[in-house]
Amino acid sequence: MKIGVFLKQVPDTETKIRPAGDGSGIESGDVKWIVSPYDEFAVEAGLQLKEKSGGEVVVVSLGPARTLDAARTALAMGADRAVILDDEGFQGSDPLGTSRALAAVARKEGFDIIFCGRQAIDEDNNQVPQIVAGLLDWPHASWVNSFESEGEMATVKRPIGGGKLEVVKVRLPAVFSCTKGLNEPRYASLPGIMKAKSKPVARYTPADLELDGQVGASAAVVQLTSYQMPQARPSGRMLEGEVGDQVKELVRLLRQEAKVL
Amino acid sequence: MSLNFNLGEEHVLIQDAMAKCLEPFRGRQEELKQSILVERKFPQDLWDAICATGLMGAVIPEKYGGNGMGLLSCAIGIEALAERGFGNALLVLTAMDAACILRNGTEEMKQKYLPKMASGEMKFCFGHTEPDAGSNAFRTRTFAKKDGDDYLISGQKTFITGADVADRMLLTCRTTSREACAEQGLPKAFGLALFIVDPKAPGIELRPIPTRGIEGMTQFLVHMDNVRVPASDLVGEPDMGAMALFNSLNPERILAAASACGLSKHCLDIAVKYANERAVFKERPIGAYQAISHPLAQVRIELDSVRLLTHRAAWAFDQDMNPGTVGNYSNMAKYQASELAVKAVDRAIQTLGGYGFSEEYGVIYYYEAARLLRTAPISSEMILNFVAEHDLGLPRSY
Ligand SMILES: Cc1cc2nc3c(=O)[nH]c(=O)nc-3n(C[C@H](O)[C@H](O)[C@H](O)COP(=O)(O)OP(=O)(O)OC[C@H]3O[C@@H](n4cnc5c(N)ncnc54)[C@H](O)[C@@H]3O)c2cc1C
Repeated sequence: MKIGVFLKQVPDTETKIRPAGDGSGIESGDVKWIVSPYDEFAVEAGLQLKEKSGGEVVVVSLGPARTLDAARTALAMGADRAVILDDEGFQGSDPLGTSRALAAVARKEGFDIIFCGRQAIDEDNNQVPQIVAGLLDWPHASWVNSFESEGEMATVKRPIGGGKLEVVKVRLPAVFSCTKGLNEPRYASLPGIMKAKSKPVARYTPADLELDGQVGASAAVVQLTSYQMPQARPSGRMLEGEVGDQVKELVRLLRQEAKVL
Repeated sequence: MSLNFNLGEEHVLIQDAMAKCLEPFRGRQEELKQSILVERKFPQDLWDAICATGLMGAVIPEKYGGNGMGLLSCAIGIEALAERGFGNALLVLTAMDAACILRNGTEEMKQKYLPKMASGEMKFCFGHTEPDAGSNAFRTRTFAKKDGDDYLISGQKTFITGADVADRMLLTCRTTSREACAEQGLPKAFGLALFIVDPKAPGIELRPIPTRGIEGMTQFLVHMDNVRVPASDLVGEPDMGAMALFNSLNPERILAAASACGLSKHCLDIAVKYANERAVFKERPIGAYQAISHPLAQVRIELDSVRLLTHRAAWAFDQDMNPGTVGNYSNMAKYQASELAVKAVDRAIQTLGGYGFSEEYGVIYYYEAARLLRTAPISSEMILNFVAEHDLGLPRSY
């Protein structure tokens, strides 16, 4: 089985994000880059499936040159090889362009199944898995937190709110976007890190994927025009004293200051 | 453009592996602290989880079951563990002993021990100090006498950390006595030898010494009376052990320095968190007072300087640079690391006020660990002697 895993490199959740001076992006100087956490569930799902059914796990990542580090993390966790789309022509792709590129890789590689994170935690678009499935004309299930497969059928569970789970049976090939609870992603051990150094990494250009003019900034239908910090929210206020007094004070504040009553 | 101060991506992954291998223990923090700091026992399952990362295989090539990532990788891993309060002296000693076997042992010996050391299945301690031979290794008296294909070892070692939990001990002995060397006009470096000995072998008696300074471990007086050791467990040549010994002390110093960096960062983190939360006058946290914040900022600066010294030393070792240079770098790192650790713990205690002494916060326990580093594995005076003599070219006084 040829298992594709899509992953994106994103700023560490603990990094303090600052818009760049000209508003064109974020200050990337001292940002620590990591594999988007939901994508780690996808890598783990791919590895577990390989352990069960055999085959190979191929990670695919689109981004600037540093995205190789993210792919290497997955290789160190146990993925077999990586495809990096770091060509200039891919940069500035919107979710549609990114999906076109990833879908083209899926076709070229002949994936039987694709796992990705439910969303990349940088821009939180939550679009690529669904668009890729659309472009490939494959079924998909999003926000999967339980996965089992038997031959050509996969049975997955997805949280649908209210603490309820939806159970979906999906015929492969299919795209699954993974969410928390699906598994405990393994860490990259030292032997894994060492082995990752010699695992194959392939690179395609838009031309290799016959995508000239369909990816990159020039083809983007969604354009990010500027980045700004959200306005600082005034800090909360703690009321003190007897509960009864607090309630009175709260009602007074809601009336007179917030003017919502 | 060959100078690069960034950690490699693989080193970041190692830090990550250390953080993640500790995650399953998150709910057991209190129990682990009690075990390590108070009962001085390092839980076996914690050791296993750490070794499952492959950390102990870093200094061991793939051929012998390791991963060959090198001493710098090992140092970064050990620092990351200590940073979270999980330094372990036997990690340091096992790695150091593995490096010694790798460089000096026979093929058979490497096959026998290295794979088990790489996996963490075998822990090694280091038996060097004697009641009458500490800083001066040449005064070693423990004697290994040839007996057929074996050696019979007798003597005493003291302050031997973890001899009760270690599976083997790398032991410094004499195969020619000091007196015989003097009589025959042999150089003083002649006559030493290194052996691998099972601390549970017949003829060995371990007596615990009530000592402070190393969390999770106890020190022992190791009494040896005609302990039979096969010649195949002699590391290197008889009488020629001095170089092997001195070269092995370099990785020990480097890893001790890395542990000290981690310990310092651990204490700094505790102090910074506390300084941000504790308010004494008005609502302003004490971290706003420069009397509190500046010393912590100094520790932060010194931490980076010691890290750089430590990484340089480990890098030089991995590059197989000549042992004199590695020794100089290792000594500098170890010296500065012990100064840093003492200062870091001291400032953490000061920041925490009375709570600096509370067992709950635990900082007071680290004071002993930090202070030990000025004395062991090598004292600061001996390092200054070394640097004065070998780096500055000043005459020797002793
Ligand atoms: C908690 C703990 C754990 C230990 N674990 C181990 C272990 O696992 N294995 C092991 O082999 N040993 C271990 N040791 C021993 C440790 O390595 C020695 O204590 C240390 O090397 C110092 O040796 P010493 O105690 O004999 O001091 P000495 O050599 O007697 O020195 C006493 C003092 O004199 C100073 N001094 C000596 N010579 C000179 C000189 N020429 N110039 C200037 N000053 C000098 C020293 O610096 C020191 O301050 C441990 C010790 C402790 C406390």
